[in-house]
Amino acid sequence: MGVIEVKEISKSFGDTQAVQNVSFDVTQGRIFGLLGPNGAGKTTAIRMINHILIQDSGSITINGREASPETQHMIGYMPEERGLYKKMKVGEQLLYLAQLKGLSKAEAKKAARYWLERFEAIDWIDKKVGELSKGMSQKIQFIATIAHEPDIYIFDEPFSGLDPINSETLKEVVLELRDQGKTILFSTHRMEQVEQMCDEICLFNKGRAVLKGNLRDIKQSFGKNTINLEFEGNAGFLDTLKNVRINNRSNNFAEIRVLDGQNMQDILKTAMAHAEIYKFERIEPSLQEIFISTVGEDNINPKDLGQ
Amino acid sequence: MSFRQIKLVLQREYMTKIRSKAFIIATILIPVGLIAFIAFAAGIAMWDSEPEIKIGIADQTQQLYPRLANIDADRYIDVSELSEDSLRSSVINEKINGYIYLNDSQVTSNENPELVYGGSGGFALLNSIRSDLRDAIREERLQRANVSQEVQDIYASSVSLDSRKLTKEGEEKEDNTGFLSGLGMFMGIFIFTALFGYGGLLTRSVIEEKTNRIVEVIASSVKPIELLIGKMAGIAALGLTQIAFWALAFFGISAAAAPVASMFMGGNAQELAKSAEAADGFDPAALQLPQIEPMIFVWFIVFFLLGYLLYSTFFAAVGSAVDSETDTQQFMFPIMIPIMIAYFIMFRTIESPDSSLSVIGSLVPFTSPIVMITRIAITDVPIWQIALSILLITATFIGAMWLCAKIYRVGILSYGKSANYKELLKWIKQG
Repeated sequence: MGVIEVKEISKSFGDTQAVQNVSFDVTQGRIFGLLGPNGAGKTTAIRMINHILIQDSGSITINGREASPETQHMIGYMPEERGLYKKMKVGEQLLYLAQLKGLSKAEAKKAARYWLERFEAIDWIDKKVGELSKGMSQKIQFIATIAHEPDIYIFDEPFSGLDPINSETLKEVVLELRDQGKTILFSTHRMEQVEQMCDEICLFNKGRAVLKGNLRDIKQSFGKNTINLEFEGNAGFLDTLKNVRINNRSNNFAEIRVLDGQNMQDILKTAMAHAEIYKFERIEPSLQEIFISTVGEDNINPKDLGQ
Repeated sequence: MSFRQIKLVLQREYMTKIRSKAFIIATILIPVGLIAFIAFAAGIAMWDSEPEIKIGIADQTQQLYPRLANIDADRYIDVSELSEDSLRSSVINEKINGYIYLNDSQVTSNENPELVYGGSGGFALLNSIRSDLRDAIREERLQRANVSQEVQDIYASSVSLDSRKLTKEGEEKEDNTGFLSGLGMFMGIFIFTALFGYGGLLTRSVIEEKTNRIVEVIASSVKPIELLIGKMAGIAALGLTQIAFWALAFFGISAAAAPVASMFMGGNAQELAKSAEAADGFDPAALQLPQIEPMIFVWFIVFFLLGYLLYSTFFAAVGSAVDSETDTQQFMFPIMIPIMIAYFIMFRTIESPDSSLSVIGSLVPFTSPIVMITRIAITDVPIWQIALSILLITATFIGAMWLCAKIYRVGILSYGKSANYKELLKWIKQG
């Protein structure tokens, strides 16, 4: 049974159908990725799971219970648009937010101190958030999300706006939480992060879940239909290849998706005729490639994929 | 709805605001500023003087001019010697402001005197000249009618009005309508200002949560309606604290004023009366406040709270609909109109607290918080009217809350741009 079970939820705002008939399960102890371009309905789905918005139809259960103010307390949520009260002190702020999540004052105090110490931020306890640097306040934001130690963590576009150090910290924290048996759901439009972290994914496009399942299985099901090519020389020959889609192209690198089952050796021969080949490797397609071939090239704006 | 959550929001709202320097400074500076303003206004009134007016009187009767000179020798000058042409040129050259020809027919018949003047001076000038002439001509007529001194004295006498108030319980009391009118106006203006002040505070507080981008974190722990109620109640508590502080300070100072003043004048209570005359007619006892019905203050708090609650729903909705404080203007206008109307009705109420406009104004929910408290202070308002007024505001408040909560719920989560009226309507339908 899933920790989060989403069954056929729909939500529309006026004439816009933000989420249509989406179902997915998030299993305990896994990192679940919600992917898709901007405006695909990820944030709306996440807000419904957090009981901030109420779905028009369908059901959401958290640990077997219908989404409600009680289930909100089981979740640590870091929204995409995030921030803190600038004029409030770090300690008071954490105390307030943890109490809102159902902790008693004493528990909240203990949790705030514990996490501030863990993040080596205990010295900031009496500082106003407005006085902190951006990186420091990002740390406080993590603490605010996890201080009440819920079972479930939901991060909406967690890496957007994070500096590299905090990005790394967050990644470590997420993996650590997973190892403790906690459940993590995060959304992103940056496919490469998902490849590194997620166990399971659900692909969103235009409000619908177009592909979901175990990341490894999904990749395998697509087969080794992609070539990783490293070369030195004129890259112009890439344009002469027929029936391929080239992702991640640069001066000496290309990821070539072979579309019609043509012989990959022919591509190698063409390449050898024009450039010196350093590496030629048959691989499973990248997640971005999977996404494009699932929803169709015409259905997405490549810019929305954050490339 | 969870009261625990509402309490947490309320506490935060109250504690962070009450400790802020801006709030502490405002609490101290507002009364100081008010006193300074009144002193300044009084100073202006004292400094401001009427311009010197010269009216030439060409008096053929020889009787009227001395009487006018008696009334105001600086204003009325004798120009009987001058020709009409030279009088005209004096007016044109602004040597005199105007002239009047007076002759017997104005005394014997009812012919009106005529003022020829440059046109400046306004109604106040015309009124005062008219009344001066009326007095002078009436005295002259009395004289010519050869009536006894007794009758002349009767005409010269003026009557003012003293009053005492008879309460329903049959007690006679000193009438302090003047003082109560002042109190009513003060309370009305206070609520008027408070609606804007505390309402604006709420709007800013809602916007702050949006611009700080914390509101979604909060929304994942608290229902929007709980957040809204908590914030409204937090600022209401803040307002009550401020009012309590000012009231204590005011009554403390007033209570101390009389004894302190008498101390400075070196006398004890018994000598007060004596020393009052010695000290230029100043009686320290005058610093003591007249008796005020304590219920007035209860009603004041009730109507302040109800008015605040009703309007704060709109102020909160505005805060949720906009993305920055500068965008609030377009929505503030419709909120301001009824408050301004209430303010103008209040001045009518001070003159005539039981007129139909005052009664209606004190019952209509959007104007009643200001108009009703002014009426209560000045006149005996039937209890059924007070009850009806409270009932109507409460009902309207519930309706407004229902409507504004819908806007608020959607508004706090929409970033990036301020909504327009069309979108607000859409949000209300959505909710």
